Amino acid sequence: MNESPVDSPAFPKTRTVVLGLGNLVHADDGVGVHAIHRLQQDPRVPPHVTLMDGGTMGIALLAHLSGTRRLIVVDAVDVGEPPGAIIRVEGPDLSGLPGKPSVHQLGFADLLITMQLLGEPPDEIVLLGVQPESTAWSADLTPKVEAALAPLADAVLNQLEAWG
Amino acid sequence: MARIVVDPIARIEGHLRIEAQLEGNGIKDAWSSGTMFRGIEMILKDRDPREAWIWAQRICGVCTMVHALASVRAVEDALQIEVPENAQVVRNIIAGSQLLQDHVVHFYHLHALDWVDVVSALRADPGKTASLAQSISNYEKSSPTYFKGIQDRVKALVDSKQLSLFTQAYWGHPAYILPPEVNLMAVAHYLEALEWQKDFIRIHAVLGGKNPHPQTFLVGGMSTALDPNEPFAVVNNENINILRRLVAGAKKFIEQVYIPDVVAIAPFYKEWFKYGEGLGNFLCYGDYTNGSMKDPSKFLFPRGVVFNRDLSTVHPFDPAQVTEFVNHSWYEYKDGDDKGKHPWEGQTHPKYTGPKPPYEFLDVDKKYTWLKAPRYRGKPMEVGPLARMVVGYAAGQPDIKAAVDGLLKALNAPPAVLFSTLGRIAARALETQVMAKHVVDWVELLANNMNRGKVSIFNAAKWDPSSWGASSRGFGFHEAPRGALGHWVDIEGRSIKNYQAVVPTTWNGGPRDTQGQRGAYEAALINTPVAKADQPLEIMRTIHSFDPCIACAVHVVDAKGRPYTKLNIG
Repeated sequence: MNESPVDSPAFPKTRTVVLGLGNLVHADDGVGVHAIHRLQQDPRVPPHVTLMDGGTMGIALLAHLSGTRRLIVVDAVDVGEPPGAIIRVEGPDLSGLPGKPSVHQLGFADLLITMQLLGEPPDEIVLLGVQPESTAWSADLTPKVEAALAPLADAVLNQLEAWG
Repeated sequence: MARIVVDPIARIEGHLRIEAQLEGNGIKDAWSSGTMFRGIEMILKDRDPREAWIWAQRICGVCTMVHALASVRAVEDALQIEVPENAQVVRNIIAGSQLLQDHVVHFYHLHALDWVDVVSALRADPGKTASLAQSISNYEKSSPTYFKGIQDRVKALVDSKQLSLFTQAYWGHPAYILPPEVNLMAVAHYLEALEWQKDFIRIHAVLGGKNPHPQTFLVGGMSTALDPNEPFAVVNNENINILRRLVAGAKKFIEQVYIPDVVAIAPFYKEWFKYGEGLGNFLCYGDYTNGSMKDPSKFLFPRGVVFNRDLSTVHPFDPAQVTEFVNHSWYEYKDGDDKGKHPWEGQTHPKYTGPKPPYEFLDVDKKYTWLKAPRYRGKPMEVGPLARMVVGYAAGQPDIKAAVDGLLKALNAPPAVLFSTLGRIAARALETQVMAKHVVDWVELLANNMNRGKVSIFNAAKWDPSSWGASSRGFGFHEAPRGALGHWVDIEGRSIKNYQAVVPTTWNGGPRDTQGQRGAYEAALINTPVAKADQPLEIMRTIHSFDPCIACAVHVVDAKGRPYTKLNIG
């Protein structure tokens, strides 16, 4: 509870973090955050793994990701697959995603770049994504994306197991 | 006359689009269009008002905390709850540090590249850069070796071409006029600021819980327990020392880096004291007090309204005089679009009538945006740092007056320069300076209260819904980093009947109203020169100076065309 990680200037780079991104009030956009909430109830998640609800924050997450060696990002991903399809993108294929410096927020792509800029990129990054059906205003997932939650959680666990 | 369009991101994320009509080398007219479709009321309807803040903080992708705060205040106003002093102080520290972090990040990471040419920094002489840096500040990182190291690091980054942060600016545009040494100094501080903010925002982890979204708000106060000797209390002596270290570091960074940089860069761009403020009307709800939210006389940012740039009169603010128009917005009011509605009577019936994408131009004579048009006493208003400093200066608030006068003296300029793009940037820096000092004081007040045994932080008197009346209405407000934020809640029985949020970017980025009066962005762009129509850097400068937030974000990653593996389900 009060281990005060907040005061360590830098963690040793040993952490494994599962970061759920997305907006809970925009239907399937929130799938990453729903996945984190589900994993928080799942006894199979090893105790050394940090489960993080990152919402739609960009570089504000930097403080929370300090010392991350292995990072799984769970998010809605638009690749043109049918809704609910789960996809996996790894390491180098993630670099150079479209950034968005022109508006006020800095997104996921910029988060990866700033980690690099500060000299602490994770050694390994895996993006587990779900193709959304709707990102309209709603606190609920659409049925196809809801159905993808269980296999998505399994995919996270498989990745964690592969890392050992 | 050429029409130019700045539509930075035509993707699924929320974004802002500006259409500007050019005449000669300047902007004759402009229209602001945002995709912010406000639907939070649909999410909140029928929910328990005590948990509204948990949902409200998801309205915006980035400024989550400010909505949590406005929401608990709206419900506290409706149920007539006064929160204990410690709750106000902890909220002030959380919100004040958000403002410090936000403004530094805005200046260095979201706005500086409109003024600072990274490519030019590569040509700078590190020795001369060191002399410049040492002449304006005592900040310790200022040696030629340090600046040479930064230059090498930036060169490697630029060469790698992976940095979206650096690749989408108009490098080499004639409107960049800083000497290479000033550019290098600014780029170095871009990196320092990135590092600093990462450390600093841990203050939220101390007071808000380890989750990136604050978890310690409560209708009636905060859930952060105070006890000097209890290791499991959130506020104890150990954590007070962490807060002290972080706020002292913030004050130092702001005084030794941010403010000197603004003072060093501004004189090169003095021309921008002439453009970029169009309305002349400024609104500040006021905020930051250790006492009651019902007593504006104690607010650090004074409550009030300035009309027509008249600094001699601060008009009182009456919340009943806020209305929203939709005659140019993609909504319909059931009883007609010809009148504005107060947020308590607010309706959100979306009705898109714009062109089907892809399209060239919006039909700006009709509806052209998802933003409503808020008005105060029927007038469009600018909100945000400039409004706060203008109202505070006119009201004679001592800290604000001293900060503004100090800067005007350093720049040898009259107060009228505030009414500009550069004035807005300066106002943001000044309020950061003012706020840093107060955040330091609030941490000491909290420590002092705790050690005197004054530990109350939650007023439970109205927690039980059986203590509520049959119905009630509340207005919750917060001077968020981007400006006046209001949440209006209408409670019936034990649940929410109606909820409306009017966010700062709706005030600033909204469209025309029934009288054809422009919104703040639209008015600010008039007469701004544009040197190259295909690279409208000048539009970016003015719009970015408002710190636009259309980030009621969705977060879909655009990974089309990338190699991926499809995982089998089941």
